[in-house]
Amino acid sequence: MSASDQAQQGRRLDRVRPREQAAIGRQAATGRGWGWVLPTLSGIGGLLLWELAVHGLELPSYLLPAPSEVALVMVEKWRLLLDQLVYTAFAAAVGFVIALAISLGLGAMIAASPAVERVLYVWLVVFHAIPKVVVAPLLLVWIGFGLKSSIIFVVVFTFFPMLVNTVAGLRSADPDLLLLARSMGGSSWHILRKIRIPSAMPSIISGIKISITLAPLGAVIGEFVASNKGLGHMLIQSVGSLEVPVAFAAVTVVSVLGILVWYLAEFVERITIPWHASQRGRSGSES
Amino acid sequence: MSEIVVQSVERTYRSGGRAVHALGPVSMEFEAGRTTTIVGPSGCGKSTLLRILGGLDRPSAGQVLVRGQPVGERMDGIGVVFQRDLLLDWRNILDNVLLAAEMKGLPRRAVEPRARALLDELGVGDFADRSPWELSGGMRQRVAIARALLCEPWLLLLDEPFSALDAMTRDQMGVLLQQVQQTAKTTAVLITHSIPEAVFLSDRVLVMSGRPGVILDDIAVDLPRPRTLALREEPEFAAIVRRIRVQFERSGVLA
Ligand SMILES: Nc1ncnc2c1ncn2[C@@H]1O[C@H](COP(=O)(O)OP(=O)(O)O)[C@@H](O)[C@H]1O
Ligand SMILES: [Mg+2]
Repeated sequence: MSASDQAQQGRRLDRVRPREQAAIGRQAATGRGWGWVLPTLSGIGGLLLWELAVHGLELPSYLLPAPSEVALVMVEKWRLLLDQLVYTAFAAAVGFVIALAISLGLGAMIAASPAVERVLYVWLVVFHAIPKVVVAPLLLVWIGFGLKSSIIFVVVFTFFPMLVNTVAGLRSADPDLLLLARSMGGSSWHILRKIRIPSAMPSIISGIKISITLAPLGAVIGEFVASNKGLGHMLIQSVGSLEVPVAFAAVTVVSVLGILVWYLAEFVERITIPWHASQRGRSGSES
Repeated sequence: MSEIVVQSVERTYRSGGRAVHALGPVSMEFEAGRTTTIVGPSGCGKSTLLRILGGLDRPSAGQVLVRGQPVGERMDGIGVVFQRDLLLDWRNILDNVLLAAEMKGLPRRAVEPRARALLDELGVGDFADRSPWELSGGMRQRVAIARALLCEPWLLLLDEPFSALDAMTRDQMGVLLQQVQQTAKTTAVLITHSIPEAVFLSDRVLVMSGRPGVILDDIAVDLPRPRTLALREEPEFAAIVRRIRVQFERSGVLA
């Protein structure tokens, strides 16, 4: 992978840059004072409309349950939902951490050595080209039902954006800055620690933000196929037995998990790179 | 004997099968404690020469001797200021200055008082705890100068340090640099595009031709120090400026 290829790949992934989405969201949210009114009204209004439509058209709940029914299910089955949530979140978290470790290690090796890059490049391209969802059934064959399969699927599903961004980040250090560091008599180790790694952080954090939101999704998809527990399994099973309100409850919980993970990513960004242009002047950041 | 001797140095860059002869051959000597300025058209190899002087790049031919010894891979005791201040956003101002010591593995305790003193001397002492992005361009460049001076270099290399600044800030910085040099007496090599700035700051001006750069003229500037900005109106000053300009006109750099 040449440097420019890498940069391009980084850019392609950047198109869905969460930071920009966050910035847009932030602007809307801080529309000072009454900014929350419209979104809230819109949310409540939508739910009301849905509720009325279901009752008015007399839709059976196996087609479309009313929000009130879903809420009822969530209250009734809260214990079960919580168990599944913990199970899925655990698979997502463990898988994500493993993927992070792999991409940091592999990314550092690729950034440091063109030879390693040349050896790995073709495999990474092939790997990236394979639709991950197709791999899930194979995991079932190779590893069987259970947590292990989900975790491995999360790893497979999330490590690529972090790897690409780690490599791009480690290569992004300003050449003049490296020259300056050398003029100061800096050893490679000092330059890595004090220049290269901090320069790479914004890019690495970008990758983490993409991957961390993919992690719960990966866990759920893994559970569709190769699990008899978790929110994904619950979803598939309830749809299969036409318990659609339960499926809606599971979807709701998955979404809540996604939102929590998003804020977690924002938090991590704020504490790791408070100096970055995207973070300056944000509440909660020092300086 | 001169502190730095440059002997028939050339530099050719090779990239993608093409070779760019960027510099030389040039030969010159630099006296200890003096400020020499290099002026020349863009792309003539000035930055290349500066990097070679600092041991940051190797000549394709010829050699550089420092106090009689050939310059090797790594050279100690140089301070560099570039056109861009290259302050690190993740460090506050004081820590940016201290980077010069940390890179050498020196304990920051030992140099922190000097860092603060330098920031004071350069007029940015009150900003030690601020972040780089809170400072103006001129202030940032003062910090970059403090960083270059922190470890008391014997050689100061300045590659268009004021080019990105507005005219007034630029004049201020020139006066400031002269003050600093008055006490530090470091051997300094400065690159600039401004002929008046070159004359104002230096003991000697080297005029370079277009690429590949060679030395067209070597002009001593024997104007008294400390100099004030008013000196620029004096006839001696104007004469030197004219001499450099004529060199450029004759070589077709300035039409
Ligand atoms: N790293 C490099 N690789 C290839 N060519 C270079 C490199 N650095 C400089 N050059 C070329 O060498 C010439 C001199 O460059 P430089 O020393 O930066 O000039 P100056 O500082 O006088 O403007 C230019 O033509 C430039 O394109
Ligand atoms: Mg230059």
